[in-house]
Amino acid sequence: MKITYCDALIIGGGLAGLRASLAAQKKGLNTIVLSLVPVKRSHSAAAQGGMQASLGNSKMSEGDNEDLHFSDTVKGSDWGCDQEVARMFVHTAPKAIRELAGWGVPWTRVREGSREAVINAKKTTITEDADRHGLIMSRDFGGTKKWRTCYTSDATGHTMLFSVANEALKNEVDIRDRKEAISLIHENERCYGAIVRDLITGELEAYISKATCISTGGYGRIYKQTTNAVICEGMGAAIALETGIATLGNMEAVQFHPTPIVPSGILLTEGCRGDGGILRDVDGHRFMPDYEPEKKELASRDVVSRRMIEHIRNGKGVPSPYGDHIWLDISILGREHIEKNLRDVQEICKIFNGIDPAEEGPKGWVPVLPMQHYSMGGIRTKKTGESQKLSGLFSCGEAACWDMHGFNRLGGNSVSETVVAGMIVGNYFADYCIDNELDIKTSTIDKFLAKEEKNINTILSLDGDESIFKIKDTMQRLMDKKVGIFRDGVHLGEAVVQLEELLKKTKNINVKSKAKAGNPELEEAYRVPKMLKLALCIAKGAQQRTESRGAHYREDFLKRDDKNWLKRTLSSWPNENDTMPTISYEDLDIMKMEMPPAFRGYGAKGMIIENELSTKRQEEVDELREKMEEAGKDRHQIQDAMMNFDLPMNYREKNERMGEK
Amino acid sequence: MSRDITISVLKFNPRDEDSKPEFVEYNLKETPGMTLFIALTKIREEIDADLSFDFVCRAGICGSCGMVVNGVPTLACRTLIENYPDGKLQLIPMPAFELIKDLSVNTGKWMDNMSTKVESWIVSNDEVDITKIEEKMDPDTADAVFELDRCIECGICVASCATALMRPDFVGPAGLNRIARFSIDPRDKRTDDDFYELIGDDNGIFGCMSLLSCEDHCPKHLPLQNKIAYLRRKLVSVK
Amino acid sequence: MSDLIEGYIGKTTNGKKSRIPAKLDYIQSLTGGFLAIFMWGHMMMVSSILVSKDFMYYVTKFLEGSFIIDGGSPLMVSIFVFIVFVIFVVHAALGMRKLPSNFKQYQVLKAHTKSIQHQDTQLWGYQAFTGFVMFFLGSIHLYIIMTNSADIGPYASADRVWSEWMWPLYIALLLAVEFHGTIGLYRLCIKWGWFDGKDPQATRKRLKKVKWALTGFFLTLGFAALIVYMKIGMEHADKVGEKYVPTSMIKEAK
Ligand SMILES: Cc1cc2nc3c(=O)[nH]c(=O)nc-3n(C[C@H](O)[C@H](O)[C@H](O)COP(=O)(O)OP(=O)(O)OC[C@H]3O[C@@H](n4cnc5c(N)ncnc54)[C@H](O)[C@@H]3O)c2cc1C
Ligand code: HEM
Ligand code: HEM
Ligand code: SF4
Ligand code: F3S
Ligand code: FES
Repeated sequence: MKITYCDALIIGGGLAGLRASLAAQKKGLNTIVLSLVPVKRSHSAAAQGGMQASLGNSKMSEGDNEDLHFSDTVKGSDWGCDQEVARMFVHTAPKAIRELAGWGVPWTRVREGSREAVINAKKTTITEDADRHGLIMSRDFGGTKKWRTCYTSDATGHTMLFSVANEALKNEVDIRDRKEAISLIHENERCYGAIVRDLITGELEAYISKATCISTGGYGRIYKQTTNAVICEGMGAAIALETGIATLGNMEAVQFHPTPIVPSGILLTEGCRGDGGILRDVDGHRFMPDYEPEKKELASRDVVSRRMIEHIRNGKGVPSPYGDHIWLDISILGREHIEKNLRDVQEICKIFNGIDPAEEGPKGWVPVLPMQHYSMGGIRTKKTGESQKLSGLFSCGEAACWDMHGFNRLGGNSVSETVVAGMIVGNYFADYCIDNELDIKTSTIDKFLAKEEKNINTILSLDGDESIFKIKDTMQRLMDKKVGIFRDGVHLGEAVVQLEELLKKTKNINVKSKAKAGNPELEEAYRVPKMLKLALCIAKGAQQRTESRGAHYREDFLKRDDKNWLKRTLSSWPNENDTMPTISYEDLDIMKMEMPPAFRGYGAKGMIIENELSTKRQEEVDELREKMEEAGKDRHQIQDAMMNFDLPMNYREKNERMGEK
Repeated sequence: MSRDITISVLKFNPRDEDSKPEFVEYNLKETPGMTLFIALTKIREEIDADLSFDFVCRAGICGSCGMVVNGVPTLACRTLIENYPDGKLQLIPMPAFELIKDLSVNTGKWMDNMSTKVESWIVSNDEVDITKIEEKMDPDTADAVFELDRCIECGICVASCATALMRPDFVGPAGLNRIARFSIDPRDKRTDDDFYELIGDDNGIFGCMSLLSCEDHCPKHLPLQNKIAYLRRKLVSVK
Repeated sequence: MSDLIEGYIGKTTNGKKSRIPAKLDYIQSLTGGFLAIFMWGHMMMVSSILVSKDFMYYVTKFLEGSFIIDGGSPLMVSIFVFIVFVIFVVHAALGMRKLPSNFKQYQVLKAHTKSIQHQDTQLWGYQAFTGFVMFFLGSIHLYIIMTNSADIGPYASADRVWSEWMWPLYIALLLAVEFHGTIGLYRLCIKWGWFDGKDPQATRKRLKKVKWALTGFFLTLGFAALIVYMKIGMEHADKVGEKYVPTSMIKEAK
């Protein structure tokens, strides 16, 4: 039996996990990071567009601050987020980006003087002031008041991940890749680490730690059509669910991105539209202004995705062997702009589709279609990032439902969340490791190890007639079709039943090779049941939520229902032999909100079933603001009075900005 | 239009005593726009569930899927089958790296080792105060640093470089590029002297024999030729 | 003492990495560059035979220092050859570091070059191989010329080529030196980024073209000269040892 002891165990080496590992390591803890793949290959590397932080450096972001970022985030979430967490986030984001600048991210910088930009498909001249020359630049992204998305050309996630990973190497964090956590070790409602399978040798080992942080990213591969990497299977969330204690939050909140390329599903960054790219239908007509006259292509992702599908349903899609799609046209930005700022996009189009998007006219149009992109849901945590139910289990990044995204996250807010949560949660996590002792018996460890050993042996001994690959494929197609962008009770009901059947079928498979190492089919065989459990949480949660909010869109319940549904879905799996999650709810307290529910500012109006507390709280807030403004208080003091929040380290300090006292 | 293609893979499991390296042929039908990612996944799901290979992003971004295709190291996920007119592809795991199984090699380990060896991070004594406005940086410099920061550690340059194959301690083109990247970054306070300590020997810059296979195969088209020459000029004159 | 310290500890006495590798790299380029440029001159001289025997004769005399010492002295040539020989040995010694040094390295180099079909890698293979060949052939030639510096001339040289069986060696050496030298010069430019300019890739393409042109030119020249020497040597085979007397002197003697 191989047992490794450490102070702090982090499962997942994407941006979130690595940043958290630095928080722990810098506090002198013996920290281990586990990852399925070399950490620099984590899916964070794929983020192209950028990271939101309200620096307010460039012309188009002048006047930006935490308040605007906060309000965009809350609106984006369709009031589903935890506003306190959103505050913690927007307040730390500028610090995160400056920290990253210090670690070497070559952020694109402001260049003084005039330049041409395409805004709303019109050429516009922007002039940057000389005193901003050399500060961090930002671009436009959907759903934001100001140009707030900082970037490094179109490889933002890559440069961020490499800087953080190198910083971890520099600080001698113990990073171990090709190690997969397959279950959590816990006793008396406290988590003590994980059972881990070495993906090279097939050996099972136990990693024991004072606290464990899961940052395993999203679960896009539950869907067939997804922008996510093939390793995004949600195993972190699944093993937390399988403890029977920890809960998952808002699993039905799944984001679809408007512009993955057809058929490969590789994402073309939101930057395409942010920089001025437009969507066209079969007639070459730019249709978004018809639906969203104000924000057009830059309405939030859920809105754009739905409009695209709606337009296709109206018979305006472009037919292709892979079904109907929409055209994305960025050629109007000009070759020079594309070759400088959207080089990766151009490369993807050329390599995977043989299209040069810089070519003018229909030749340069790229086929796109909305696909699964981001999981707002995940391991439900407190503000500190610790599971509400299982002590010593922390989570951050896409794997978590820390809940700053609610039912829809804004583009650029997610890589931003990873590093910010890595800083904040990472510090709380480290403190937990410092404050707590390890008091677990080896017999408990034995028990968990033996259980997983047995599970693998059972799988290898199964002699049924089902193929695990088929089951997985069926699940993915089912999710696309019935738990996708447009949802309704009937299809969701069918999905739940069929997913449950599939879960049962996984007990009736046959793994051809009996080898314990280097056996990809075996890996599928223990992962797919876990994926099915997550899929069930999504489908069941979606079925029960009879409203439309953010990315969760019910055709049979078109309105956002603040009266009955201003609550977070919690899923748990109390019994190993259950074939269905247990769902409960957690209310959001309007009376504590800094920004009570209202109209988002995009999408159709009058689609809200109001909660009477909303107006009440709004009046309260307005009154307070008025009084304090009269008394000459600044925005920080007012904010503090409306909704106080706490941050570790020096993160609560004010962020300095040019042109702001 | 769908033709029959043959993919022959060098299979070997170094951890299995019974395993002998051998080419195994798989025949399948090409589908439109088929990449090696699609083809290999199909082979695993339908023909040989035991075939090991590594894909993560399947979009040419993460650097996981380097392999030798008909003699040339490339990213498999970006390899379109239709670019092979005779429909025959021979796949070999990349040399220079520890073989895990079949097409899967441990590039991560090599790269981490390299990164540590060349201290692939910003070295500076200046504390960054993250509550204050960031230090300015010339936009052109930032772009130049970014240009070199684009390396995805796929290892293709290493597998292409005969020097790296002959001499396992050579930091390789990727390692040299890393030094070039930090040496033009104004935030890094290291001097040429410091860089010399890292790569001023035959395992570093003076080991490169200018074969330029790295330059010719890097999927990210990094300017390796130019930057290696730059480093050589720079470090040969260190006193 | 410092040699001992550096040898064992791997750091100089002031705690730094040795500067020698930088020097070695530099000297290798310097010696290689010198030899390559020298060979241009050399091939021009040798092929003076293509113009006429007289011309070759005067060139030889000129090199023997006829402009200083009356009638020239072969010692000048010997000294010069000795210097070139030293440079040659230094270069060879440095070049050796790069050659595959054990079977494993040789094996992987061979497999790789064959598999990847990459021109610059192949070229290096030729360079390494021809370098190895010149080790022997070049040394023989240089030693002979150094010790027989008086025997250079239209007849003496031709006799050596033909009657003393140097021509097979020269064929091999000519091929070796021309490939090695021009590839080396190309590599030199790339290695130090001399003409990189704005678009290093375009420069490289151009350099490659120049390189092939030079190889072609000097090989043609060399073989033409060699054929002439062989022809003269053949015709002169029964008079081996006879020195060439320039036409003007024959006239004077008359
Ligand atoms: C194509 C694409 C583009 C995007 N662009 C943007 C953008 O422009 N801006 C933005 O803000 N967001 C963007 N996002 C979203 C953002 O990239 C992700 O949400 C974010 O990077 C997630 O980071 P993470 O650290 O939480 O997880 P990841 O980076 O996904 O890392 C997960 C880690 O967990 C490890 N892991 C997983 N399971 C296990 C296990 N069982 N055991 C051990 N280790 C495990 C993996 O190896 C990996 O290291 C994009 C997403 C996609 C798909
Ligand atoms: C004993 C004979 C020789 C040997 C063993 C030898 C070996 C080598 C080797 C191995 C290299 C490659 C070095 C590298 O890749 O870094 C090289 C480079 C070179 N050689 Fe030679 N060589 C010999 C003679 C010559 C001669 C006679 C010439 C002149 C024509 C010459 C010209 C060059 C040049 C110009 C270079 C490029 C220099 C550089 O890359 O730094 N060499 N030689
Ligand atoms: C100072 C040094 C040198 C001198 C004086 C010299 C002189 C000569 C002379 C006189 C010849 C004519 C043939 C003969 O007399 O045998 C010759 C031929 C030749 N030399 Fe040299 N040589 C020198 C160095 C070299 C070197 C370094 C090389 C390459 C490694 C070389 C390669 C050749 C070849 C290939 C030929 C035959 C060329 C032909 O006939 O086309 N020489 N040399
Ligand atoms: S330099 Fe190019 S080939 Fe080498 S590892 Fe980086 S991206 Fe890959
Ligand atoms: S291929 Fe190798 S030898 Fe140098 S130029 Fe590139 S590192
Ligand atoms: S799978 Fe990521 S580069 Fe090929």
